[in-house]
Amino acid sequence: AGYAQKITLVSRNVPLTEVLKEIRKQSGYSFVYNQKSLKSARNVNLNVKDLDIHEVLQLCFKEQPFTYEVLMKTVIIKEFKGEKPLTQQADMKVTGTVTDVKGISIPGVSVRVKGRNAGISTDISGKYAINAPENGTLVFSFIGYATQEVAVNKQATINVKLKEDSTALEELVVVGYGTVKKSSLTAAISKIENKNLDQIPAGRFETAVVGRMAGINISTTRARPGEAPIIRIRGASSLDAGNEPLIVIDGFPGGSLDNVNMNDVESMEVLKDASSAAIYGSRGSGGVIIITTKKGKAGKPQLNFNAYTGIAKAMGHDDWISGQEYYDYVVRYQNREYVWAGGDPSIPVWGDARRPAAYQVNPVIKEGNVNWQEEVLETAPIQNYNLSVSGGSENAKYYVSGTFKDERGTIRNTAYTSYAVRANVDLKINSALNMGFMLSPNYNNRRNLGLGIEAMVKYPPFVAVKNPDGTYPKARDYWGIVVTGGLNPMAVLDATKNYTNAMNNVGEIYVGLDILKGLKLRSSVGANITYTTNDVYQSAFGNATNAATGSAADTRNFNLINENVLSYNKSFSGGHSLSGILGASFQKSKTRATAMGIVAGSFSNDVIETLNNAVISPTLTRTSKTSWGLASYFGRINYDFKEKYLLAASMRTDGSSRFAPNNKWGFFPSASVAWRVSKEDFFKENKLVSNLKLRASYGVTGNFNIPDFGYLGGISDVYYAPNGVLTKGQAQTTFGNKDLRWEENRSYDVGMELGLFRDRINIVFDYYNKNTSDLLYLESIPATTGFITSLRNTGEVNNRGIELEINTKNLTGAFKWETSFNLTRNRNKVVSLGGVNERINTDTFGMSWILRVGEPMFSYYGFKSIGVLQDANDVANSPVLAGSLPGNTKYEDVVKDGTINSSDRVILGSFHPKLFMGMVNDFSWKNFDLSIVMQASLGAKMYNFENEYYQGALAGAMRRSLVETQWWSAAEPGDGKMPGAALSKLTWQANSDVYIEDASFLAVRNLNLGYTLPKAIAQKLRMQSFRIYTSISNPFMLTRKGFHGYNPEGYTQGEIGGLNSKPGYNGGSEPINRIYTLGLNVNF
Amino acid sequence: CNKDLTEITPDSVLTTTDYYKTAKDLDLAVIGIYSSYQSRKPTDYILLELPTDNLYRTTYTLSAGADDVDNMAITSANQLFATFWEASYSGIFRANAVLANIDNPKDYKAKQKEQLTGEAKFMRALFYFDMVRLFGGVPKVTTLLEINEAKSTPRASKEEIYNLIISDLKDALATLPAKADMPKGRVSNGVAAALLGKVYVYLKDWPNAKTYLDMVTGYGYALQTDFASLWKLENEDNAELIFAIKYIEGTNGHTLSSAFLPFGGKTGIASSGLESVFPSWDLHKLFETGDTRKAASITEFYKTPTPANSPTVWFPHVSKYEVKHLLNSSGIDLPVLRYADVILLLAETQYGLNRPDLALAELNKIRSRAFGNATKNYTPADIATAEAFTDKILLERRLEFAFENERWFDLVRTGRLLSELAFEERGYNPTTQTALKFTLQPKPHYVLFPIPQRQIEVYNPGVLAQNQDY
Repeated sequence: AGYAQKITLVSRNVPLTEVLKEIRKQSGYSFVYNQKSLKSARNVNLNVKDLDIHEVLQLCFKEQPFTYEVLMKTVIIKEFKGEKPLTQQADMKVTGTVTDVKGISIPGVSVRVKGRNAGISTDISGKYAINAPENGTLVFSFIGYATQEVAVNKQATINVKLKEDSTALEELVVVGYGTVKKSSLTAAISKIENKNLDQIPAGRFETAVVGRMAGINISTTRARPGEAPIIRIRGASSLDAGNEPLIVIDGFPGGSLDNVNMNDVESMEVLKDASSAAIYGSRGSGGVIIITTKKGKAGKPQLNFNAYTGIAKAMGHDDWISGQEYYDYVVRYQNREYVWAGGDPSIPVWGDARRPAAYQVNPVIKEGNVNWQEEVLETAPIQNYNLSVSGGSENAKYYVSGTFKDERGTIRNTAYTSYAVRANVDLKINSALNMGFMLSPNYNNRRNLGLGIEAMVKYPPFVAVKNPDGTYPKARDYWGIVVTGGLNPMAVLDATKNYTNAMNNVGEIYVGLDILKGLKLRSSVGANITYTTNDVYQSAFGNATNAATGSAADTRNFNLINENVLSYNKSFSGGHSLSGILGASFQKSKTRATAMGIVAGSFSNDVIETLNNAVISPTLTRTSKTSWGLASYFGRINYDFKEKYLLAASMRTDGSSRFAPNNKWGFFPSASVAWRVSKEDFFKENKLVSNLKLRASYGVTGNFNIPDFGYLGGISDVYYAPNGVLTKGQAQTTFGNKDLRWEENRSYDVGMELGLFRDRINIVFDYYNKNTSDLLYLESIPATTGFITSLRNTGEVNNRGIELEINTKNLTGAFKWETSFNLTRNRNKVVSLGGVNERINTDTFGMSWILRVGEPMFSYYGFKSIGVLQDANDVANSPVLAGSLPGNTKYEDVVKDGTINSSDRVILGSFHPKLFMGMVNDFSWKNFDLSIVMQASLGAKMYNFENEYYQGALAGAMRRSLVETQWWSAAEPGDGKMPGAALSKLTWQANSDVYIEDASFLAVRNLNLGYTLPKAIAQKLRMQSFRIYTSISNPFMLTRKGFHGYNPEGYTQGEIGGLNSKPGYNGGSEPINRIYTLGLNVNF
Repeated sequence: CNKDLTEITPDSVLTTTDYYKTAKDLDLAVIGIYSSYQSRKPTDYILLELPTDNLYRTTYTLSAGADDVDNMAITSANQLFATFWEASYSGIFRANAVLANIDNPKDYKAKQKEQLTGEAKFMRALFYFDMVRLFGGVPKVTTLLEINEAKSTPRASKEEIYNLIISDLKDALATLPAKADMPKGRVSNGVAAALLGKVYVYLKDWPNAKTYLDMVTGYGYALQTDFASLWKLENEDNAELIFAIKYIEGTNGHTLSSAFLPFGGKTGIASSGLESVFPSWDLHKLFETGDTRKAASITEFYKTPTPANSPTVWFPHVSKYEVKHLLNSSGIDLPVLRYADVILLLAETQYGLNRPDLALAELNKIRSRAFGNATKNYTPADIATAEAFTDKILLERRLEFAFENERWFDLVRTGRLLSELAFEERGYNPTTQTALKFTLQPKPHYVLFPIPQRQIEVYNPGVLAQNQDY
């Protein structure tokens, strides 16, 4: 292979010999010189890319007391005997503007003539004027940008575009208690920068980052205003202690994403593997999300205004039946029921005493055409405004912002409003001392829903929404027994005023001290103060008891932390560099809660809605306090040899009040290594592979979400009524455990980072294996102890999987196209459950969830349906559940004993997706840009209780797709799978796969189209930049045929949260919204 | 500094380290035992009435496993048995905790320690009596067990459990104060005597049964003249109730009234009901004309509160506990032992002691109270044979204690489970005058319920033996 004649070289103050070596390596040219004479050589500053070797040599020797000659491929260096190279020539005046690559001018850029010390800075509009020699060179430098040199060449005007300093690999990544160059990472960390994320209309931070990172599954389980999605990093592993990641906001551990406003976010890092999370010790088990907010930069104040406004429309079901079709359905339904009860279906359905009332059909239902889904849903406005100012001098930098966010729900009478302020101030007192503070008070207010959507949309279509007099009719006003006795959904919606208010502030003040070169101390005191109130009032007309009701609850939490971190950083000769931290952290949280209830029916009137208008109930009113403390010591060391071999190790020890006396302190070590293969000498530069890094890590993290004082046997209040007087008694209600400790998560990760075609394609691949043991587990114990369960550390769960991230720059010309794709496959498996092999949890309506060794946690467990029993003959000749009738489901007789009973139950899949993917495509052309975010999930199964509910006992609204497939008689068997609905046997078919549906989906989560005004025009309008954008959220969603839910991620019973979890249960998760917005972002 | 963070004591939660110190603590702990029984009681009917021919399920979901119980597909995996087992041992634990700590306080009032001991022992016996009747011999626990001890404690024999019950009840009888000295809803010596008598009837120990049942009358209990008055809020604490669990509407209520109430609710009762079960036609048809217990137990016709002009329809439902209440929080007390029970038990005892004349006299006390006169009284000819007597006793107990959780126990102890439960007539259509006949297929081993599978699994292997044929 021939050598390149082009040289790419960055050197800053590097000895000439080193530079020559590099040139030799790249070009194959050899150099002849006298070692001794080169001692007088000056160090070289170079920044060239793909430059011809001759030009490079010229630059190298420009200021050297040498001259050179090129003979074939040999360069001979001689002492320079002639005149001095830089003779004093007449200076000329050079002027120009310095901007960034986007054309936004940069004030404060240092401009100087090469070889001279004095220089000037650009003014606030980026302009400069300087005197320089005609053949001299100008040097432009500014923090955060690559220094650029431009030959004057007698030009009077030189405009310069500075490039940002960081190539992808030079980028800094925030890790716990520090930052690391991306190229030096030894752990699996995903990073997202807020480029235009704040211009995606998402009520919450999490929604804007959906689909962007491998290994991180963000599910919007409830589409309600302000509702937090569920975040899972590399699968769920804990049964009882929660699987939520630790949120660290600007270094404060234990914050909440409720308090994070995307406008203020600079970047988000996710520590996915245990080696990176181990520095957070007993809290790192669920992964760590680090949020870094924007900080001020020296320079003139920058004012940014970001605003968008739009409308949200819910995507509802489109197959509700009404009028005649609904009537026909109810008639068939009632006849079928009547036949089952032994009746004669030829008896008229209405007005004939021979037919029991429960099987009659009132013709009133033909008249109804109300579509309750349409009535309870409405198009809802959303708006979001943010104004921020940042700037400062070298000694004082600030970032201040204010945000107002208002999101109305698409279900009537729901809303989320948020007001937030943030101030980040950093002060440099002198060369050794700096300090700063951060404040982020915010207030938000949510109005919550009074009734589940499934209950509202099922309401019979013949009931008017409102009477002419303004009252709300009920189904039973039209027809008795057979229809629901429930209230008019609109009455409940209008009557329910359920508000949750939260006032939060994460604040911190810090002092930094540069003790010696490379040795720094940072000490901080931070507090997260939250104050949450919930006020509920429900007017009599919207309450089933026909009396107004209400409640109030306040919770106050004060979480205080002091952290002290000593950090050291030094490079040694020979390519060794070492950095490390040593720290101590002390945290204490105190919570005080108050809850108040009223004596039923005691509201005096409907005017005053606070509880002073009622009689407070003694059993529903209480105050309580709880607290926890955590003392921690930690250290980390990073070693790097020639940027080729990287090593990191950390250790944290946590002492927690939640751990039992025998186990007060936990230790959480980690180690990781990386090898940058592409930095090796033997690794020849080639066009295909531009970067290759292999890494491996191992670490131990913990989960300390044990209840406060969970290790003590607790005594609780219980009640009895001797003499008819409410009397408080007491009883032990939890079994103590003096060995209670944290959950322990041991995991390893091997990864590969690969850059192809000069990093136009970047691939990150990870395999991980995460074992969570000592599960905090409400272990079943013999009831003869007085308790069913005891909080113990038993059991083990494994998550292993692969993650793949591919970032490509597909087109780089005028039309740019970049793609980032990620894919995650996680396999969840129960390894051990302590003493037992399985635990089954059965829902009231029949479905069971099983924890079984070797299977994913909380798999569905029930009967496998194989068809529908067609007639009496079929019932008599098939293995059936006791009491089965024609029209019931036929099940597989797994144990082949001729009957169906609980031993025939099998695993029917689980809510865990087998694979999830995300893809972001960014396009830009001239001033237009377009971003498309897609998300897909495959293989998750949903228990669609929603269907079962619609098919349930009472005649309510019905969906065509649930009618058409049903069994009606042997002559009309439907699709052969869906049994006759609304039997008393619904519980049975609920404990089968009849209602289990494939919840796989492919969704375009967001489309964002923007137009940035040309710089010249923007500047005429006195703006730095101006972008106008339009966005559509959820423009497209594809689900499996036969999927009936509103939302394929809509799990109404949450995910895993204790032994009796019902993950995958959809009892009417709200429709997801398609949101259209228009926004603008202006920078002054 | 670390200790401030790692060693924190709770501000709001009492723990075992600072409890059971004073007389007041122990008194509150005894209330805790009652509370345990109070919370189990309202759902006992699912195991004790639903599988029998008295009740059947509606289309409304009741609780997981109720279908199987209703259809007599009884398996050890059914969580209803586990729930009952666990709730009962929770109550036994609370009694044991009181007895284990009874010597701690030094500030008892006179006789208070004896009273608390008596109450704890009585309640422990009551829980064990339910357990031994349903499951046979169960682990005999009288102390506070550590987990490992519990895992290796096998079932005791039925006799050992009965011996414990008898000794606890005898102690209770000896130490409990008289009815007048105890708050209503807490037990007194008369209650202990009545339960002891009942226990001896189950053991067919007629002389002992007679001794204690006879004793009960002396404590001042008597039949109410009007059967219906037993189920009225204003007549709670009447002389017929030897022991009733007390409830308060709204703040300390139970779900039973709502469970039986039609879904649409009833004017003057509650705005809606749960309609979990219906009374079977099987039972319904047995009430003879003039039997006042029929109207007090089952209401045949129903009119929804709205619309105002809604028709009255045939809709039989249980109305025994039907009082005005807030949904799921009824205040009507639930009887554990009624004097009527003592009378019918005494009838059996007398018959067992070969005094059919005296037995008939007792039986007819109930009969004539039900009909308001002696016209429907039984004659000696009606009870000429032991079989015939058992027929009459079972019938009378079924009518008298319908939905009071006696039916299952009565069928088991008289050996009538298989013969009586072969069929159940459920819904009845008055227009066609037919009822849906449902085949139940009880199995001989159903005389004992299965030991809950999930309990067996948490024991050391082989320790907790399953009942035969499960």
